[in-house]
Amino acid sequence: MHIYAFGSVCRGEIRANSDIDLLAIVNGIDERFDLNLYSIYSYNRLTEIWNEGNPFAWHLAKEAKLLFSSDGSDFLDSLKIPQPYQSCRQDCEKFYRLFSEACRSFVQNETTKIFDLSMVFLGIRNFATCFSLGQLNTPDFSRHSALRLGSSSLMIPSDAYEIFERARILCTRGLGTAISKGETNRAAHEFRAIEEWMETLLLRVPTHEQ
Amino acid sequence: MSNEFSDRISAQRAILAVINEKSWPAEALFGLSNKAIERWVNTNRLGDNLKLVNQIRKVSEKLFFLANKSQDQVSDEYQLVRAEIMTACHEIHDELKLIADA
Repeated sequence: MHIYAFGSVCRGEIRANSDIDLLAIVNGIDERFDLNLYSIYSYNRLTEIWNEGNPFAWHLAKEAKLLFSSDGSDFLDSLKIPQPYQSCRQDCEKFYRLFSEACRSFVQNETTKIFDLSMVFLGIRNFATCFSLGQLNTPDFSRHSALRLGSSSLMIPSDAYEIFERARILCTRGLGTAISKGETNRAAHEFRAIEEWMETLLLRVPTHEQ
Repeated sequence: MSNEFSDRISAQRAILAVINEKSWPAEALFGLSNKAIERWVNTNRLGDNLKLVNQIRKVSEKLFFLANKSQDQVSDEYQLVRAEIMTACHEIHDELKLIADA
């Protein structure tokens, strides 16, 4: 068994509402691990995502810190560098669709608006992370990756961006003040700008990756 | 979008829509994470023993189970749990009707 920390705590990005991302690598089923606290992977699956050049493999390779090893080894270190990331286009399109579906649901449903804003934030963040990994020399796995792409960064007013982030934190960690109807509408006002940002960046991602 | 990822998001959205059809005293349920459910229970003073709360917690566990299991690509088990989630969603709907009719 191996346990690693990754994410904001490993980057030294400590905020009042930060959580700690933990990875457990196990053989078979180990019910001691709370699924709410740990990402749980088997050794085989982690080796596979390393060989696929999966963004999560790159995230771990860049940031993960070993907390515990049952045999004294550093398993992730032994995997060396992941294979090159080749699914940038596919992944960016996936998160573009996540964003589009959330916008559509926001317009159609009164009962899931905060969840939909949360999915918009997830789409923005993951799109930016995949773009930075595939197209820029500086992969960014942080929560605010969309704001850290230099000239390719998402340019929307910070008050709207913060509403999307608050929605995400409400849906995942149950923290923060509730979002008012006026605020949901304020955030939704930026849907078109976000869509244009994604579409512009998608034009720069080759369709057929080698 | 990969079907499993998209399915999990759609399932969450569908379950939240069913639960939030009812107007809750303080806040709607924002998400199906453990902590979001805990917040919803506390702000609406629902009490942990309410059958509906237990049903929602169970469906939340299954969704998190899927999120992890999908990484292991256990297809048969995935299909089984997915069916269980749909059943749980119907049960939550029925329980809400009972609460509304009471």
